[in-house]
Amino acid sequence: MTFRIGQTLSSLALGLAVATTALTPVAWAAGASDTDQERAARWQEIAKSIFGDRQIAQTDSLVKIDAPARALDAALVPITLTMPNDGQIKAVSLIIDDNPAPYAAKFEFGPAADPAELKLRVRVNNYTDMHAVVETQDGKLYEAKQFVKASGGCSAPMGMSDEEAMKGMGDMRMKFAETGAGKPVEATLMVRHPNFSGMQMNQVSREYTPARYIDKLTVSAGDQKVFTLTGDISIASNPVINFAFKPDGKPIQVAASDNQGGHWQHSFNPPAPTN
Amino acid sequence: MIGRIAAALTALCCLAAAPADSPVNVPEPEGLYAGPPHGYTPPTLKGAAVVDADALAALMAGPDKPVLIDVAAPDRKPSNFPAGRLWLPVHPSIPGAVWMPEAGAEPLAPEREALFYERVAELTGGDKAKPIVVFCHVECWGSWNAAKRLARKGYTGIRWFPEGVEGWQEKHETTNLRVDPAWKAASEKQAGR
Repeated sequence: MTFRIGQTLSSLALGLAVATTALTPVAWAAGASDTDQERAARWQEIAKSIFGDRQIAQTDSLVKIDAPARALDAALVPITLTMPNDGQIKAVSLIIDDNPAPYAAKFEFGPAADPAELKLRVRVNNYTDMHAVVETQDGKLYEAKQFVKASGGCSAPMGMSDEEAMKGMGDMRMKFAETGAGKPVEATLMVRHPNFSGMQMNQVSREYTPARYIDKLTVSAGDQKVFTLTGDISIASNPVINFAFKPDGKPIQVAASDNQGGHWQHSFNPPAPTN
Repeated sequence: MIGRIAAALTALCCLAAAPADSPVNVPEPEGLYAGPPHGYTPPTLKGAAVVDADALAALMAGPDKPVLIDVAAPDRKPSNFPAGRLWLPVHPSIPGAVWMPEAGAEPLAPEREALFYERVAELTGGDKAKPIVVFCHVECWGSWNAAKRLARKGYTGIRWFPEGVEGWQEKHETTNLRVDPAWKAASEKQAGR
């Protein structure tokens, strides 16, 4: 797969043509200033494409996004999603409005989940609004918003060869926090995977590394699902996810797959609860 | 003196061998830069003034409005990106800029190079002394090359803005740009569309 200049330009032109077609109905013309109104219009368009005509209400209690107002590294922006853990949250989606692929992640929770606090690290390509949309058990949608200043995260090279970046791909580690009996256990899952965005150019060969990212990751506690993550190129390389689950003494199972057919499974033993 | 010559020779040899790997003292290449487009750039450009965001804002607020030229590459859609998945690239830039993606590429197809000169001649109204600001991203050789091309062509009012859109958006509003229509039409023609 070689991208010489001509081919690159032609594929770019194609991409632009497609983008233009997709954007046609949207009312932000070239030359309009990038105001709040423009951002709102973009969010409307994105929300419609993901959630169709479903209503999304504002919330400041059902989900909250914590992100650095100004990120140190646009390829590794830490995000915390805070939600109530009383069982009413069915799923949460994270959308990075001004990323070229805005739909960054969707977490669908199972009975063993404690969604009180969820952390992940993402790529941010432009100064952007970020939206978290939760779906409650009764099928309603609620959104929260946060503005983040970072740019260039999607195309930032990893600073090593692709071979080196893929070394140990699919390896996983899990750390558990100290916990009391009967309480949810906090866990940190670390997955070795470059999560190539497909927008990163190898600086030596000047070829684009094809997108290779984790598209599905399921965590279970025994037979009960904690969550299923549907991922995208906006998730940072070597994904790290902090979550909590309700322990039942059985091992934690993690199954991950990527868009190039990679599949990995690991099992971790949570610590026995201390009294 | 000998030390200085040795240093110059070292700089020359390394320039040919590898991309600049130091943020300081990157020497100006003899001609256009044909190395990796992303990397540390020289602090200077012969034939052009180097401006920072404050100087650029002052220039834009002044009586002789500059022609702003953005040569940044557009976001590249991954070739294996799943069909049906949302892809909505935006290109925030300096308000009023004309976006001619990759006009600073080296090599550049002769017909695109000719179109670049043609568009700049139109944008400047044929005034070779008109202030022109060339930029892309921070640590992007594209704007260095594009400004160099215009300097060689005899333009005398060239400003190179190496901080690019990243430097601009720190303190100023951006606008989402579409590719210059003439530039886009030529890209599509070249792609056989």
